[in-house]
Amino acid sequence: MKLPDTAPMPHAALAPPEESSTMIEVENLDFYYGQARALHEINISIPANKVTAFIGPSGCGKSTLLRCFNRMNDLVDIARIGKGRVRIHGIDIYDPDVDVISLRRQVGMVFQKSNPFPKSIYENITYGLEIQGISDRKRLDEVVEKSLRGAALWDEVKDRLHTSGLGLSGGQQQRLCIARAIAVEPSIILMDEPCSALDPIATSKVEELIQQLKGKYTIVIVTHNMQQAGRCSDNTAFFYLGKLIEFAKTEKIFTNPSQRQTEDYITGRFG
Amino acid sequence: MSQFWEQQLADIREQLLMMSGLTERNLALAMRALVERDDKLCDTVEAEDSQIDHLEIQIDEMVITYMATHGPIARDCRMMLTTSKISNNLERIADQATKIARRSRELNTEPLLKPLIDIPLMAEIAQEMLRDSITAFVDANNELAIEIIARDRSVDSINKQLERELTGYMVENPKSITRALNLMTVARAIERVADHATNIAEEVFYLYKGQDIRHEPSLKQPVPPPGKDKE
Amino acid sequence: MNAPVNPFVARKSSARTIEHIAFGFFRTATYFILICAAVIFGFIFVKGGQTVFRSSFPFVNVPFLTQAPETLYVFQFEGKKMELGDRDFRKFKEERHIKDIPAESYVYSSGGIFPCIVGTVLLVIGSMAIALFIGISSAIYLNEYSKQGRFVHFVRLAILNLAGVPSIVFGLFGFALFVMFMPMLQDFRNPTVLSFPVGFGHYLNFSGWNVCLLSGWFTLAFMALPVVITASEESLKSVPKGFREGSLALGATKWQTIRTNVLPYALPGMLTSSILGIARVAGETAPIMFTAAYVIRDKMPWQVDHPMDFFFQGVMALPYHIYVVSSKIPQNEYTERVQYGAAFVFLVIVMGIALTSILLRIKMRNRYRW
Repeated sequence: MKLPDTAPMPHAALAPPEESSTMIEVENLDFYYGQARALHEINISIPANKVTAFIGPSGCGKSTLLRCFNRMNDLVDIARIGKGRVRIHGIDIYDPDVDVISLRRQVGMVFQKSNPFPKSIYENITYGLEIQGISDRKRLDEVVEKSLRGAALWDEVKDRLHTSGLGLSGGQQQRLCIARAIAVEPSIILMDEPCSALDPIATSKVEELIQQLKGKYTIVIVTHNMQQAGRCSDNTAFFYLGKLIEFAKTEKIFTNPSQRQTEDYITGRFG
Repeated sequence: MSQFWEQQLADIREQLLMMSGLTERNLALAMRALVERDDKLCDTVEAEDSQIDHLEIQIDEMVITYMATHGPIARDCRMMLTTSKISNNLERIADQATKIARRSRELNTEPLLKPLIDIPLMAEIAQEMLRDSITAFVDANNELAIEIIARDRSVDSINKQLERELTGYMVENPKSITRALNLMTVARAIERVADHATNIAEEVFYLYKGQDIRHEPSLKQPVPPPGKDKE
Repeated sequence: MNAPVNPFVARKSSARTIEHIAFGFFRTATYFILICAAVIFGFIFVKGGQTVFRSSFPFVNVPFLTQAPETLYVFQFEGKKMELGDRDFRKFKEERHIKDIPAESYVYSSGGIFPCIVGTVLLVIGSMAIALFIGISSAIYLNEYSKQGRFVHFVRLAILNLAGVPSIVFGLFGFALFVMFMPMLQDFRNPTVLSFPVGFGHYLNFSGWNVCLLSGWFTLAFMALPVVITASEESLKSVPKGFREGSLALGATKWQTIRTNVLPYALPGMLTSSILGIARVAGETAPIMFTAAYVIRDKMPWQVDHPMDFFFQGVMALPYHIYVVSSKIPQNEYTERVQYGAAFVFLVIVMGIALTSILLRIKMRNRYRW
């Protein structure tokens, strides 16, 4: 199923105008759930150390594509890649040589529903390290503080690190999940509607955090909230019915999208 | 609580203040060009105008980007609308300054028709109105904004008086027609500046109070500050 | 103006009548169940309580709970009616140097039920361990590892069918497989059955395990498996998907995820539901009557020559004992006491197991809450 490198591309990968180094490159990707085609020939180059937002109506394939990046789709029995490639750091992550475990350490994920483990805050952060066999207490302490600071949560929880992570508020839980993700030092953080269950204040804190993180990490965020995509992202991709309709700088998408479908969607005139 | 996007609001505001500073300066330069009969200053004014035009476009771009990506509401929403309108008014004031500069250059070719007394006085009031309207914007000062609106009356009346006077000159001496017309245009320009300053003041009031006070005759009544009585 | 008519005034309608009838019926059904339960428990508690409890200190019939069953002898001595157990009766005769005395004998009607209690507890513990181990393992496989395809569908169907198999069939199955066929490692060749040399002078003789604890454990465990697997799968499913995803997304393997982030949270549910299911199965007579239960055995289970013999001995068990005393021997006033006493003790044991599982659940749920 590997394409020769010289194979002609049906479409050139859509890239945002301002070129920075590419972190994730999707080439001609087709994706299926059973017989149903969820993604149609997706070509997209996601730049490094930027925030890229995926928007589109439910079932448009944006979450599916996001879950291709850390191979979370492997967990779904009927999901399979039809053709095409996903490259991270230039490496085809669906190559049989690629170990999905080490891939997922590089590509962290934050989920729609905050899912701290029913353990202490400390154990939540160290979980990713402990499964790698790291048990040096001093190192773990350092990572916990660094990650919590990185997730702008340290000051709020430093006095109760050993209480349950479930005792935190919704927004704090989601930031705890982000801290947990950055504790294993990934280069990419995928966020699947991270604020959909949060109130506006918690949402703005998470958005603030995304801004702080974007220099260090490549962030891909799926969102249903137009304003969030507008506020937080550098580039925005609009998906519809499994196709990538438009990918451009966020200002461009939000002020003057080149596709009619994009404009209809972001202005709420859909369907 | 400081939000990351508040930086963008601050940037827009900074651009607007820079634009207003340039506009004030241009207007002052134009007046000096007229009073000091200095052609060079006229050139400067004309050259700077393009920069102000450019700023207006830039501000509008920032405003629309912010509106599109952030969907501002309430105060932020009014701020965006007001910013756009203020920058538009400033640009027009700058245009009037250019107009004054051009007329000054023509006036410089001939001796003065009469000593310039009323025009600088008018200009002073108009400039002060502009300055105060920006101060009202910066300080969120509603009272000051209201007060500016009342001052527009005095500029209007000086302008009318000047028109009558200059018409008299033209009737007496046809040779003075060009100069009188140029002076009249300058006076009209200054009067337009005062109008734009009034508009800005009204926008500022709307921005901070959320209440539209344009076309409110009661506010146009002169509340003459002591010592500045006219007629 | 007229006074406004109340639009919400109560009216008679057929819908209301039907509602009254329907709920009346539902209520009756519920009360009926309550009454049935009360009658059963009340009957056994009243009748059994007479055997188990005493009106004077120590208030409990200690011999009944600590002795083995004996034959009861009823006879007339010096004009008095005497009731003595086998051993006491012999001692009585010896002391008075009486050769023989006309007496009516009633089997199992004296002494106690101690070996039965021990045997039942052993059967329950052993089968519980086996059922939990196999059941939880296969539930993990079915729910976490296997592809949800035709094969798993088939397996689930098989499990459901297993649950519907009558207990007597399990008994026969256990008899055929464990008692008659399972291989034994022995140091001689058994020519009457299949026999394979495994070296060092040892042979694998397919002569079966005989009627023994091991056979009973496996038979009971197999019977409990459908309940255990179903309950375990339910508990696994009730662990939020987010825990698994969150763990996997951090680069954990599937087994790490299950071990640290699924099992600890599923275990309370698994244990409680499974234990309840096993307690139910442990009450069955049919599966053990061919595989593990002896009618009477003199030795206690720990009185074995060799540690391995522990697993290969038959035991007495409460349900089977009840069955024996209530259907295999002539019925009379003396056997009735044993019947109800044993039934009462058995009920208490089963309720004790259920109570343990509930307490366990409360304790573990408090530890992990999400």
